[in-house]
Amino acid sequence: MRCWPFITFLFGFSLLSAQNKPLLYNVDDLPQSLMLNPGAQIDYKGHVGLPFLSQIHFSAGTSGVSLHDIFRDDGTNINSRIREAMHSMTSYDHFTVNEQVEVISLGWQLDKRNYLSTGIYQELDFFSYFPKDLAILVNEGNANYINDIFDFSEAAFTGEIMAVYHLGLNHRFDQRLTVGIRGKLYSGIFNAESTGNTGTFTTVATPEGPNKYRHIVENMDVQVNTSGFASLNEEEGMTVEEGTAELLKRSFFGGNVGVGMDLGLSYLVTEQFVASASVQDIGVMFQRENVESYHYYGSYQTDGLEPLFPDLDETGRAIPYWDDFEDEVDKNLIDRTYNDPYVTWRPAKFNLAIEYGFGQAFLPCNYLVVNKVRYMNQIGMNLAGVLRPRGLVYSFTTYWDKKLTEKQRFRIAHTLDDYSLANFGLMYSVTFNKFNLYLAANNILGFRDLAKARSTSVQLGMQMVFKDL
Amino acid sequence: MSLLPGTNKVILYLAFCILLTGCVKDIDLDQAEKISLSPDLDVDLLIYDISEEYFFRSENNVFQPVIRDTVRLEFLDDDYIQKDLTEVEFYFRHINTFPQGFSHTIKFLSDAGREQILIQYEVAPGNSNNPVTTDYTEIIEENRINLIRNSIQMVVELEAHPNSKEFKGKLEFASTGLFKFDF
Repeated sequence: MRCWPFITFLFGFSLLSAQNKPLLYNVDDLPQSLMLNPGAQIDYKGHVGLPFLSQIHFSAGTSGVSLHDIFRDDGTNINSRIREAMHSMTSYDHFTVNEQVEVISLGWQLDKRNYLSTGIYQELDFFSYFPKDLAILVNEGNANYINDIFDFSEAAFTGEIMAVYHLGLNHRFDQRLTVGIRGKLYSGIFNAESTGNTGTFTTVATPEGPNKYRHIVENMDVQVNTSGFASLNEEEGMTVEEGTAELLKRSFFGGNVGVGMDLGLSYLVTEQFVASASVQDIGVMFQRENVESYHYYGSYQTDGLEPLFPDLDETGRAIPYWDDFEDEVDKNLIDRTYNDPYVTWRPAKFNLAIEYGFGQAFLPCNYLVVNKVRYMNQIGMNLAGVLRPRGLVYSFTTYWDKKLTEKQRFRIAHTLDDYSLANFGLMYSVTFNKFNLYLAANNILGFRDLAKARSTSVQLGMQMVFKDL
Repeated sequence: MSLLPGTNKVILYLAFCILLTGCVKDIDLDQAEKISLSPDLDVDLLIYDISEEYFFRSENNVFQPVIRDTVRLEFLDDDYIQKDLTEVEFYFRHINTFPQGFSHTIKFLSDAGREQILIQYEVAPGNSNNPVTTDYTEIIEENRINLIRNSIQMVVELEAHPNSKEFKGKLEFASTGLFKFDF
C-alpha cells in the first residue's frame, strides 16, 4: 500500500468532480459565495483576499472509471482492464478538470444596500465526453467489429485556460430581496474545442461484393479549433521562461478576449426560508489571435485497389495505383487547416437553492446596528448544472450548515451527481479576529482511497473579512 | 448552541483527518509502462475481375498464358508498419468460372525489386454454371514480419493452364490483410 500526502494529490495528481462548489454556495460570511451568486445574502462589510491564496480550487471527475479500475494491483493484465473499462463506459461518460486560483479578491460596502466586489482569477477548465467508438477503434481495430458503426459524433471536448477580471455589485433591494450582477472580462490564454462533429466509419461485410469488405466513411465532418496553441507549437527554440512570458502576456489581454456576466438573487420567502438562484458565466470568447483550426470532411468508400493488367500503361510506365488511390481519397476526404476567428461560449452554470434556518442566534445587543435575524443552523438543497456540449450536467446537493460559534462554521453536504451517489462533502471556516481561513472538500469518503474515488474537489483559501468597518 | 453537544468538533476532527491522510491503496502506477494499443485492422487490398480477353495481347490478339501487374503499397513504408506491426494475415479468394485452372503467384518485393515473400497456390477450375471458390490464407508471423517491413511492391501474377475446353469465363479476385499492431 502506498500512501501519499493529500497535498501531493491536490497539486500533482488528477483523478477527480463537478465544477460547481456547493459547499461554498450561500455561505454568507465567505466572499467566495458572491462568486457563485452575486445576489447572495452577505454578512460582512469588506474583504481583502491574500493574493493567490484567497481561493485555490481544484476539482475533477470521471463518471465511468476510477484510477483503481485501471491500475489495481491484482495480477491481471492492465490492457485487459483498460479494454474492460472502455466497454463498460458509454459515450455519455465524461471526464472533467477545473482549477481556479484567485489572484486578487477584494470588496467593500458602498452603502447599506450595495456591496461592490472585484478581482482577478485564473481558470482552467477541461471537459471531454468519452469517445467510445473511436477509443475502441484505436485500441482494438475494426477486425472484431465488422458491420459495426464507429460514430465520430462521440468526439466532443472543450478546454480553456484564461484569466478573468470581474466587478460585481450586490444590491439589497429590500428586507426580502437581494440581487446581484457581475461583469466579467475574459483574457484567453489557450482554447481547444471540438464539438458538433458528425460522420461514421464502417467496415461492411460484402459477400456479394467485389471484396470481402467495404470500408465506408460517411458524411464525416470533424473540426478541432485551437487558439493560443499554434505559436507555442511552432516556436521550437522557445525556452520555458519565454513560454511563461508569452502565457503571462496573454493573461493581460495579450491574446483573445471575451465578455460575460453572472446574475443572482436571494429572496426571503419567510423569516426562515431563503430561496436563491444564480447563473454564472453567461459569456462568450472571441478567439481571434493565434487561431488554428483543423477540418476533416467528406465521404468515401473503397473495396481495395484494382490492378488493370497489363503491368504498364501505354507510355510504358508502371501504373501508379497507390498514388491514384491517395489522390482519390484526398479528393473525397478533405483535410483543411484554417486561421479564421471563431467564437466559443463559456460553460454557463446555474444554481437553484432553498434554505431553511433554525436555532436563532443570540446577537450582540447594539442599538446602533440593525441586525437581521440569523440562525445557527441551516439546512438546504441546491440544484446545480453546468452547460456542456451535449447539455447540462447536473448535481443535487443537500446540506446542513452549522455555526459553531460566531467565528466558526461548518457545512456537511451530500451530493448526487454523475460521479457518485455517496458524495459527502465538508466545509470548515474559521475566523481569527478578521483573518478568515476556510477549507472545503467534496467526496471525503473517497479520500480513504483516492484511487477508487471517481470525483472529488477541494477549495481552500484565506482572506481578511471585515464585519465592522 | 449545538444540536449535538460535544460531537461537532469530533466530527470535524475526524473528517479533516481523513482529508489530510487521503491515500491511494492497492494500485501500481508503474503499470503505465505496460499500457499498449493492440488494434487488429482488417483492410481490403487488391481486387480484380477479369475475363478471357485479358489473356490475349491487345496488339496482335495472341494468347499469353501469364499476366501480371504490380501495385506499390506505399503504406508499408509508414512508421506504424515499420515499428509496431507484429503479424499479418493475408486472405485471398478467387471465384472462377473458367473451365481451366490457374497458378496464382503473389510476390512482395522491396523497393529495389528484391523478392521478400512469395505466395503461390492453385486456383481450381470451375464452369459458367458453377463458379468455384478457392480461398487461401497466408500468415506472416513475428519471425517473418521484417519481410513485410522490407516490402513496398505487391506483384500479382496469374498463369492460365489451358486444356481442351474453351478458354472463356470470369475470374474474380478479392484480398484482404489483417494487420496486427502493438503500439
